[in-house]
Amino acid sequence: MDPLRQDEFDSQACGSMAPKAKPCPRPKPGEAAGGCSFDGAQITLLPIMDAAHLVHGPIACAGNSWESRGTLSSGPSLSQYGFATDLTDSDIIFGGEKKLKDSIDYIAGRFAPPAIFVYSTCVTALIGEDMDAVCKEAADRIGIPVIPVNSPGFVGSKNLGNRLAGDALLQYVIGTGEPEPETDLGVNLIGEYNIAGEMWDIEKLMNSAGIAVTSRITGDARYKEITWAHRARVNMVVCSRALLGLAREMESRYGIPYFEGSFYGAKETTYSLRQMAYLMNDREMERRVDRLTEREEARLSQELRPYRKLLRGKRAVLYTGGVKSWSVISALKELGVQVVGVGTNKSTEDDVRRIADRVGDDTEYIPEGGASRIIKTVRERKADIMIAGGRNMYVAMKEQIPFIDINQERHKAYAGYEGLLRLAKELTYSLANPIWKLAASPAPWDKEAPPYDR
Amino acid sequence: MSRDELNIKDNTSLFKEERYVQQRENKKQFEAPCSEQETAEALAYSKSAEYMEKNFSRQNVVINPHKACQPLGSVMAALGFEKTLPFVHGSQGCNAYFRSHLSRHFKEPTPSVSTSMTEDAAVFGGMNNLIDGLENSVALYKPEMVAICTTCMAEVIGDDLNSFIGNARIKGVISEEYPVAYCNTPSFVGSHITGYDAMIKGILSYLYTRSGIESKPGSGEESGEKLNVMLGFEPYTGNFAELRKILGAFDTKYTILGDHSGNYDSPATGEYEYYYGGTKLADVPQAANALATLSLQKYTLKKTQEYISGTWNQQLAALSTPLGIKGTDTLLATISELTGLPVPATLTEERGRVVDALMDSHPYLHGKRVALVGDPDLLIGLIGFCLETGMEPVHIICSNGDVDFNEVKFKDEAEALLAASPYGTEATVHVGKDLWHMRSLLLNDKVDLAIGSSHLKFAAKDAEVPLVRVGFPIFDRHHMHRYPIIGYQGTLNLLSLIVNTILQQLDDHNSGFNFELVR
Repeated sequence: MDPLRQDEFDSQACGSMAPKAKPCPRPKPGEAAGGCSFDGAQITLLPIMDAAHLVHGPIACAGNSWESRGTLSSGPSLSQYGFATDLTDSDIIFGGEKKLKDSIDYIAGRFAPPAIFVYSTCVTALIGEDMDAVCKEAADRIGIPVIPVNSPGFVGSKNLGNRLAGDALLQYVIGTGEPEPETDLGVNLIGEYNIAGEMWDIEKLMNSAGIAVTSRITGDARYKEITWAHRARVNMVVCSRALLGLAREMESRYGIPYFEGSFYGAKETTYSLRQMAYLMNDREMERRVDRLTEREEARLSQELRPYRKLLRGKRAVLYTGGVKSWSVISALKELGVQVVGVGTNKSTEDDVRRIADRVGDDTEYIPEGGASRIIKTVRERKADIMIAGGRNMYVAMKEQIPFIDINQERHKAYAGYEGLLRLAKELTYSLANPIWKLAASPAPWDKEAPPYDR
Repeated sequence: MSRDELNIKDNTSLFKEERYVQQRENKKQFEAPCSEQETAEALAYSKSAEYMEKNFSRQNVVINPHKACQPLGSVMAALGFEKTLPFVHGSQGCNAYFRSHLSRHFKEPTPSVSTSMTEDAAVFGGMNNLIDGLENSVALYKPEMVAICTTCMAEVIGDDLNSFIGNARIKGVISEEYPVAYCNTPSFVGSHITGYDAMIKGILSYLYTRSGIESKPGSGEESGEKLNVMLGFEPYTGNFAELRKILGAFDTKYTILGDHSGNYDSPATGEYEYYYGGTKLADVPQAANALATLSLQKYTLKKTQEYISGTWNQQLAALSTPLGIKGTDTLLATISELTGLPVPATLTEERGRVVDALMDSHPYLHGKRVALVGDPDLLIGLIGFCLETGMEPVHIICSNGDVDFNEVKFKDEAEALLAASPYGTEATVHVGKDLWHMRSLLLNDKVDLAIGSSHLKFAAKDAEVPLVRVGFPIFDRHHMHRYPIIGYQGTLNLLSLIVNTILQQLDDHNSGFNFELVR
């Protein structure tokens, strides 16, 4: 098989496309919009587990968000701490730079992290704090990197925040360190955040094929490993919307080829592993990957058999962000589940093209958010299950629609071959649970059927 | 498919496997280059008294905060009114946090929208966002009222909500009559409880003023014989039900001002409706004529209370959350006093049953040292409950306890309450401290039990103290909010939670000699 799969990628060599200047779309006032840039920046950087993450702003930004994501750590837990400068009204008037400096010093002195990330917020950006200067001065004084992340909430959407966090990594982290001479260099995983431990499943697969992970950007990462990310031989962009720019920039600066891939579904997983080996230009590795993927796919297809039988012909509405919008479609297709509606509001043009490749014409695109819009699609398309994130979960419950959480709060890892099995199991359980029948049948004394008869 | 046909491990068991253990070991090369011994020493130091002193002298950084911000409270307040859409004026992320936060606690959807301000709004002001936002949200969600609160961003740039709303009317985006209440709630001031207060006061005063009604408290006209009741920033939908039960037993008429229990306890009918229950908008101006107002969170509802006793010139009784027997006694006595109705026999009987239950469990509670974290009114109630069961509050942290009502500060009231009981002598009340302070306290001066929100679980785990989840937010347990903790029934629920946690500890940590059947 040709590992490049020209039908899915542009005919140009992978990664030579010029960066698109198109900004992330503006949120629309008056809607129940998703997270902000600050949120997005945190999502990207919080999985650097041994670093301290300090929020420079009023208590809310940290107070409302600390320790609420399912990004798992295999060791250090400093990243889970909610550090905040807790600005009050007098700081807003007189400035909070002194407080920021003291906070950085305190964290450095008491927690001795390898690095401190400092996040700006709406307030500190508006009152004109010179965060970069404070961070630089502090870094020089205390001798550890203090990295300003300039991504206040108001600059835009969560995706933009991911990008700005990527910029901070490029500007302050990547290229500042060198790996040990005997380190086996391999692939950077970009935009994989180890939600529910998915990163570890991926890493296990890569290890089995003899492909080394150079830097995790940033699932279960350590600060130090990101400093030498520029030495990797290949970049794989796992979540394209978020950090594609980082990969592009690394290609132009360091000549590292990149590709976009996914680990949702067996085909995508196989493709990603093959692509890694191909771009590393290592024949032996390619053969190992072929053996591994053949074996895993065969085993998987055996183990999936009972689930496939139960899932065949089921209809799903998928509402998620970024890369999952298309990659999960592949996983579902392999299970025999038909995607009849798909959210595209957080997808790039490339993502949408990939969605189109996978779903055909019979699927409704849901371009904007809002529970009612998603529910409408579920009803009109007579879907059996809704696959979305936490903020839409309870609406699905109200509507008695079987639901699977696919976003950052989920507790199940769906990546890789084993992940597909877990997804199959979760889908089956969610669809088969007796509660739906109970919910859909009226009380014995109430003859009228509920409004939505599935 | 009723059972696992495959053994697919999840992250609780999978990562104990050898290959993952190996993977983690390999990863250590990337971590801070210190030995296991150094790590252990640092950890031990972080648990020492010396560290605690340094921790408590910390001035300029908050570590693991235990409060949320003003607009989060405002969103909850807005959901307490019929068909009212919470509308957050600021950048979009704040609203996403409020929705997630409230939904994770109640396991219910939170309808709330934002003006999604961006940097152009930061430069030119958020008026266009507000006007467009009003137009879009009214068209999309069809509320009968919009309740706007601000975030830091709108406050820092000085957006004038009143004039913006006026301009929206002039532009014809909303009609002259369409109700839009608002309040100013920057998060660099106060906390979720002050934001709740600001929105309740904003809605009451707005609906009252525009109705043109002149308040004649207790006049008997319209609803003059009714009682107004406010529960405040109430994370328990069960508390609303319990209060209704109590008021129903009194057979008094009443209006609950700000009732979000409908929104956060709606049935699964197969159709999501956005708005469930809530105080009827028409009832709000009539409430000015009521007999009296009963407030169950006096520190939380400070400004609203001042408004009611001031502008409405109405009799006001303000209590803290009525937990425990004495707390509930005070509640019933106050209702009786305000309405002139006797305490019903059914409640007296219930009281007797719960007192009996407390007696049954007292041997396991007596002398148990506890740590408490929460909002001021909840803490006053919890301290009272602990003292009457013989539990000894030791560490009390109230991050947002810098509040007073009628010139009595929360800290002073809490300390007076503790000083009045032999079980309160060891307690210290820390205002403005965070959960990292609590960690030091738990590690240096051991307690038997911690009571607080889910956020306390990290410190409790470090100190190996069992945690009873009470308050807000509770993210990691299901349905806690459906069970009341106020009233006699609530006292019983709280008692079962606490005593059974203690009994579970006894079983979990039995020495082999005391794994007993009967307790």
